[in-house]
Amino acid sequence: MTAIHLENLSKSFGSFTALKDMNLEIADGEFVALLGPSGCGKSTTMNMISGLLDPSEGSIRFGDRDMRGVPMGKRGVGFVFQNYAIFTHMSVYDNLAYGLKATGVARSERDRRVKDMAEFLHLTPMLNKPSAGLSVNILQRLAIGRSAIMEPAIFLLDEPLSNVDAAFRAVMRTELKHLQRQFRQTMVYVTHDQLEAMTMADRIAVMDHGKLLQVGTPIDVYNNPSNVFVAGFLGSPGMNLLPGRTIAAPAGLCADLGSFGISAPLPVAGLSEDRAIVYGFRPEHCELTSGEGIRLPVTFVERIGARTILHMGNKETSLRGVFDNDVPVRTGENVTLSIDPANIRLFDAKTGDALTEAR
Amino acid sequence: MASIAFNNVTKRFSETVAVNNVSFEIADSEFFCLFGPPLSGKSTILKLILGLEKPDEGEILIDGKPVNHVSPARRNVAMVFQNLALFPHMSAEQNVRFPLAERRMAESEIASRVAEVSGKLHIGHILHKSPAQLSGGERQRVAIARALVRDPVAYLMDDPISALDARLREETRVELKRIQNELGRTMVYVTHDQEEAMSVADRIAVLEAGSIRQIGAPSDIYDNPNSSYVAGMLGAPAMNLLALDAGNSSALDGALALDQAHVPQGASQIGIRPEDLIVTPAAASDETRVRVFEVEPLGGVTVVTLQTGETSLRAMVRGQPKIEPDSEVSLSVAAGQACFFASNGEALRA
Repeated sequence: MTAIHLENLSKSFGSFTALKDMNLEIADGEFVALLGPSGCGKSTTMNMISGLLDPSEGSIRFGDRDMRGVPMGKRGVGFVFQNYAIFTHMSVYDNLAYGLKATGVARSERDRRVKDMAEFLHLTPMLNKPSAGLSVNILQRLAIGRSAIMEPAIFLLDEPLSNVDAAFRAVMRTELKHLQRQFRQTMVYVTHDQLEAMTMADRIAVMDHGKLLQVGTPIDVYNNPSNVFVAGFLGSPGMNLLPGRTIAAPAGLCADLGSFGISAPLPVAGLSEDRAIVYGFRPEHCELTSGEGIRLPVTFVERIGARTILHMGNKETSLRGVFDNDVPVRTGENVTLSIDPANIRLFDAKTGDALTEAR
Repeated sequence: MASIAFNNVTKRFSETVAVNNVSFEIADSEFFCLFGPPLSGKSTILKLILGLEKPDEGEILIDGKPVNHVSPARRNVAMVFQNLALFPHMSAEQNVRFPLAERRMAESEIASRVAEVSGKLHIGHILHKSPAQLSGGERQRVAIARALVRDPVAYLMDDPISALDARLREETRVELKRIQNELGRTMVYVTHDQEEAMSVADRIAVLEAGSIRQIGAPSDIYDNPNSSYVAGMLGAPAMNLLALDAGNSSALDGALALDQAHVPQGASQIGIRPEDLIVTPAAASDETRVRVFEVEPLGGVTVVTLQTGETSLRAMVRGQPKIEPDSEVSLSVAAGQACFFASNGEALRA
């Protein structure tokens, strides 16, 4: 079991900076997700942890061991990639046993560990089958098992679920998290899917354009994003972000949201008048009201089972609200939304940084 | 503009029955979705409409006219493939023009059609770029524009957005629906993603192993699945399907109490949507406790996976409740929100 320390880590490819000055401490036994869109630097970070790439600047330590110059094979890390690398000419059993055999683990011990892992990942019924005929889903599960069976101190997963189908992905999310809670390896998980990061990680590190933007527990990052990018990236749909200006009203400082009207008094003290801001709230935090609120047209009603997403707004600014599946609203109607001030998040229009303090 | 009908269509590939005695009618301008797991026959149905495959039995009608013997080129239906198949060495505009230039259409006519379709798809500003310079969503729109520019009577899409990342998929499906609404063309759309199917479709056909199991509006199928198979296909997480205990007054070996009066005769399974499963912290005196296996916070909702014996089930709880893994909870079902199925999987009404 090992902690990972990333200090002032940077990586450039020629004139392109893939990662800039990243600092992150991953505790022993912690599950950290590196989350961001393609090109954000998450895989570059992962590849430096694994030893596949050398940092341009900065250092990586596992516990108190500096990893500079330590080759991949000697770092004691296990990997699972998007494209499972399974020996298709071998049986499921032999694939699971492969690493143990290569490192000289005794036959009886090997057999016990293979059977335990197969049981854990529901591979027991197909242990003696050739892996060539298995579905993509099962192959990916086998790839995870083959790495996990080595009980690496550090387990690195790079988008391991992006090729499996949606239903199976949900099952694997639960299983991977459970696996990690059982074995307590230090786990670093790279994904562009905020749902995977939210549901599995102890902490999420959100990245964009080679920069680490925010690190925290899923709920913390979700509830108190440090800037507009994080706010919009987390959530399904992401946070609604409306451009506005602060305006003095009898009840206090409010946000002038242009054609959508004037907001309720803002929950942040100390803002000056006529300041350009971004007014943010989560889609599940707005309610339909017959009273005061922001008014806007519904452009599309998306009924998707348990919930209905109302798409609202105009060409410049669109926002979404999540409601019960039977919400009685039709496309083209105008609605008025009320939002509990406690759920409003404000950001600086220029820098995108949060103006709301954590509550 | 076209309606499309299948009358008892069967298609075999040597031993395999890919499409098994399938009948349906797609109305003019309808957004019709073929939804099912891999190899359930949905892509074969598209190929049959397109004319790339010929049925072994049955009849296919486009606008009421049999087309079994009409060549693909003369059916005038357009296809957008999963991999989009844009020509990488051509600009977006050249890609869109291609089907018209190929037919030696007059230059002025080409220009006006390209302008019209580009306007509808909001791609006017990116026409000069090459496919490599476009985002996934933009490439998607260019591929659709290329399919539409010929002015087909219907267009077909085979899993067109599955390669995009999650966020872009959510945006693109709404965009596709808008485009179809505005164009008012018949759309036949294949997907294996249940949320996408419910989002875009006017009606969904749920397939299993070459047969259609249910056709209906998304909310109809979601609320009233006609079988446990269909029930399990829609919803994320999927509906929990649990065996009823003897006597029909509980499930999960007594851990889930049920009102026997609401259980229809002959039921062997109860289906409960995760959002209708109510989770409450168990009191120490409570004998019917269930263990929490994992808790997955999604922000707006929290998915709780529960385990009892060999059975695992999922509840979806609003907000961010304080529920810990390995704690114990009691379960109940929201009033009137359960489905029941006979041992053969057929839905039963109370």
